[in-house]
Amino acid sequence: MERLKVNGVEKEFSVEQFPATVAELLKCLNIEAATVVAEIDGKIIEREKFDTTALSKGQAIELVRFVPGG
Amino acid sequence: MKEKLKNAVVGIAGLGGLGSNVAIALARTGVGKLIVADFDKVEASNLNRQQYFVDQIGRSKVECMIENLRRINPDVKVEGHRVKLTGENIPEIFSEAQVIAECFDKADAKQMIVETVLGKMGKAIIVSVSGLAGYGKSNAIQTRRISERLILVGDNESGIDSVKVLTAARVGIAANHQANAIVEVILNSVWKD
Repeated sequence: MERLKVNGVEKEFSVEQFPATVAELLKCLNIEAATVVAEIDGKIIEREKFDTTALSKGQAIELVRFVPGG
Repeated sequence: MKEKLKNAVVGIAGLGGLGSNVAIALARTGVGKLIVADFDKVEASNLNRQQYFVDQIGRSKVECMIENLRRINPDVKVEGHRVKLTGENIPEIFSEAQVIAECFDKADAKQMIVETVLGKMGKAIIVSVSGLAGYGKSNAIQTRRISERLILVGDNESGIDSVKVLTAARVGIAANHQANAIVEVILNSVWKD
């Protein structure tokens, strides 16, 4: 099993199911990319790079999802 | 404490329900300078939660807020920008600000400014909001520090798309969480001016 920490919670993936990119992780969590800010190990990942930013095991990822209203 | 607040510069992105309340709280607290930006005009439908008056309907929110803030605390410097904020103009407009309040309505705009501030604006801290629609459930609205430069207010789920209604009291709770977090950041900071 491979692990990622997502919003402070350890998540386990089998080697085959491990999300290759930020975009794949969002898909797997059923979250729409347009409303998400992602940080990997404290570093901001721009939305246009979600497709090309590779994930590796053990990383800590913060996904902040925005809902409208203000 | 007074000196630190007086030397602080805070950006307020959007002057709707959140921004108008944040601006007033910070002006009353004695923050030295506010940089406020909004492209919109005051509408009758805003008055159920936004800090404007009936006789200001039809006028620019930036202009009206500057007027209101001056009546509350004339010592606060207010710089107004009547523009639509984008990933390109945000770093320039708010370049002087140590802390920026995200006070937008749309989810993708919230995403845009948080990404812009964290990605392009050095040490600036952003205080953003997600989840404030509806009424009641006061204690579900929380302030959380997501990372060094990102503070998030809200209940993380009550969007206007699903909950359908914005009420003055609950919007005010979120806005004052935001303002309170900003005051805390300023007072705990090691910035000089």
